Amino acid sequence: MEDLEGKKILVIQTHGVDTPTRTYSPVYYAIAAAAMEMDVMIWFTMNGTNQLRKGEAEKIELKPGSGVTLKTLLDQALDAGVKLSVCQQSMDLWDMKPEDLIDGVKILGATSIIDLALEADHVMYF
Amino acid sequence: MSDVGEVRGCRIPKDLYYSVDDHTWVRLNEDGTVTVGMTDVAQNLAGPVLHAKVKKVGLTRARGKPIGTVESAKWVGPIKTPVSGEIVEVNEKLAEDPQLLNRDPYGEGWVVKMKPTNWDEEVKDLVTGEEAVEKYREKVEREDIKACDHIE
Repeated sequence: MEDLEGKKILVIQTHGVDTPTRTYSPVYYAIAAAAMEMDVMIWFTMNGTNQLRKGEAEKIELKPGSGVTLKTLLDQALDAGVKLSVCQQSMDLWDMKPEDLIDGVKILGATSIIDLALEADHVMYF
Repeated sequence: MSDVGEVRGCRIPKDLYYSVDDHTWVRLNEDGTVTVGMTDVAQNLAGPVLHAKVKKVGLTRARGKPIGTVESAKWVGPIKTPVSGEIVEVNEKLAEDPQLLNRDPYGEGWVVKMKPTNWDEEVKDLVTGEEAVEKYREKVEREDIKACDHIE
């Protein structure tokens, strides 16, 4: 296997708190890629945006009784060096302001995502 | 082995060197190589390991860089080497039986052997003996890490 260090992965997450079972894996894969020394960003857009509202991710538990929530994973992702970014336009759809976001999330516009997709070695779309 | 410290049921052998923040241990071998692994506290935090991927022999790693990755049902993360050097041997058994990391973290669950390139300097940042047990006790209490489970 070639050394993957420094490869760029862009994860696009379009699912949010209305479909909890679709929220975990993309974050988990991003953490795995960061652990493998890749440069990883998750881009939250469409329904994916709403999980970044303060207080929302804590409500979604991976497995009932596990104590591991979506917020646990988002925190792990930030600790692992995964960059979290959100689509500015989709924040408007959810009536979200910058101060509603959890810490560590960068707001980017639509043109940025096109640049990031072109620069990435691989895009994973969920 | 009698000289083993214990913190909330987690075993800390006193003859090893530790990077407590990264939850790794180092054993200095007679031939000048070092064996590196994950601590009992680390296996406990990760839970039963489902996959362990270890880097290849011949790769040179700076201190703090991953020598492998570990995944469980609830956690995935790197194992960061506490010393710089070249990987000279990897534990092939982990691919077949990753829970060696849980069952025997200081023995059969070792991760890599390395030829250290800056041991004399880097060992100063590691802790051993009673000091290691105390440092671990402080960390476990500060972060309120749960008592160690040992799977069979």
